[in-house]
Amino acid sequence: MQKKLLNWVVLFAVLIALMLIVNVASGGQLQGIMWAVFVAIGAVLILILYLATAENKAWEVGTRQVVYMALGAALYGVFCWVFNTIPMPSVSQVALRPAVVIPIFFGYIFGPVVGFFTGAAGNILGDFLSGWGVYPAWDMGNGLMGLVPGLVLLFADKKRSLNTLTVVTIALLVIFAVLVFVNPRVVGPWTGEIEDFSFWAWAAIIAGGLVILGRFLLERVHPDVATAEVWGALGVIVGIGFASIADIWINGYSLMTAIIGEFMPAAVPNILNMAILLPILLVAYFAVARRTGR
Amino acid sequence: MLVTWKYRERNTIIQKLDPRARFIFMLCMLFSIIQFWDLRVMLLFLAISLGQFVVAKITFRETRRVWLLVGGFITFLTMLAFVTGRGGTGVYTEEHVLFYLPSFTLPVLGRKITFPITAERIMFGLSQMTRMLAISGFAIIIPYTVDPRLYGVTFRGLGLPDKFAYATDLAFRFVPTLGRDFSITLDAQKARGYELERFEGGIIGQIRKLAPLIVPVTIGAIVAGEEIADAMDLRAFGVAPRTWLHQLTYQRRDKILIAISVGVFLLSTVLSILGWGKFWIPGWLLRMAKG
Repeated sequence: MQKKLLNWVVLFAVLIALMLIVNVASGGQLQGIMWAVFVAIGAVLILILYLATAENKAWEVGTRQVVYMALGAALYGVFCWVFNTIPMPSVSQVALRPAVVIPIFFGYIFGPVVGFFTGAAGNILGDFLSGWGVYPAWDMGNGLMGLVPGLVLLFADKKRSLNTLTVVTIALLVIFAVLVFVNPRVVGPWTGEIEDFSFWAWAAIIAGGLVILGRFLLERVHPDVATAEVWGALGVIVGIGFASIADIWINGYSLMTAIIGEFMPAAVPNILNMAILLPILLVAYFAVARRTGR
Repeated sequence: MLVTWKYRERNTIIQKLDPRARFIFMLCMLFSIIQFWDLRVMLLFLAISLGQFVVAKITFRETRRVWLLVGGFITFLTMLAFVTGRGGTGVYTEEHVLFYLPSFTLPVLGRKITFPITAERIMFGLSQMTRMLAISGFAIIIPYTVDPRLYGVTFRGLGLPDKFAYATDLAFRFVPTLGRDFSITLDAQKARGYELERFEGGIIGQIRKLAPLIVPVTIGAIVAGEEIADAMDLRAFGVAPRTWLHQLTYQRRDKILIAISVGVFLLSTVLSILGWGKFWIPGWLLRMAKG
């Protein structure tokens, strides 16, 4: 177990080193220590989770995990870069960010360590290639987005507790939607001016509806895909939620700006993108896995 | 499977250096540069940065695309800081106006916009541009001059455990491969009538239209990844401390480079603590502003 714990320490050290190098290479945009505090908080949360379930095989890092960590991070980085570079239209206010499906997919299939590395290192790589600099709390958030779907491997039966998880995910989306309905006008995080975010309440309801639909329709055809939809949505909520809340201290946003102005416009498009692309990707993967006998 | 970066054997002194010494040199230079804002110091680092390309016999033609990309980004950032005046927050506190650009009123908002050109903004823009160019030079030269087969053993030599050294090596080498795969997939789909720019239908339909790009690249990469994992398993990867095909040994020249790199970093840190190398504005520019 000590060896595995050391693996985590090295993993965090590698990520922090990557963040610092990218920070220097992009002109040194990181200021203050709050970013480091939130990287540490994210790391501690993951370590607590790990220590509580350390004996489970889900945390193992073998040859396949090493390869897929590298592959996932490179794939997420390249997709982020490509879809940032190619002018992608947005539908109404929903940005087309197809890359988010990658850390969720890798986490769900190859485990939480692979999902975390794919999300965190891939996001650092993608932002660097796109020339956007480094945002450590968002890197950790992307890591969590990949880690949470991987937690499904902690359960011997993937379908177990799926009902509870569906209720929790949908309840969270409804709570956020109600928050926006009650308080639609907040200070925008980018403009600093009062903006109307009521669109995002409806978008969250559509996203939640899509997840429920996916979960119950796909359950009959492909239970694994249905499970992935719910875990993926939870991963987005936890990951983007972590990064948005961190911005209250890092960027000095109010709680409402962080939740309504930042979390909703980031999380809802991610859930929509995930809910549509993840089943397609999983079905393709399972078909290939069946054909190759893996 | 793996496509290499634009590496080519050139038989230059830079390529004969140990990649670990090269990485240490790069990091020491990067962490030295960010301690200064003085344009004169920046120009010195820029000269070292660009000098490497001359010594490594890398022509501008070879690196033109990267420089155009980096140059465009640096120019954009510099112009943004110049126009808004926000980039220099914390670097300078007061501004000396040289002249004003013609003001104009925003059509809808009715707000009048004025652009004061100050000595500080000009010098900050120049310093920022030089600083970022120098930093980019130190980073860009690495993939052109370090043999991709040496990345893994280099990361291992810099202290990473085997698994993470290999994962970092693979991740780094997968990037150009996957970039190529994406480009091929995009071309193949376009040949079948796929139009990335043309989006019709609702949100769901439009997101679904991206699947023909995402799925083939991802699944292709995973299938290839399985082959790599099998090959590694067959070579007993992770069973015991691994050996590397290429061994790295520090030569005298590498030790000299590391000593110089650490020396420059320590000197920069001491000078920075003593208050040297802060933001600098030539006296004549300030006199122009006051005159």
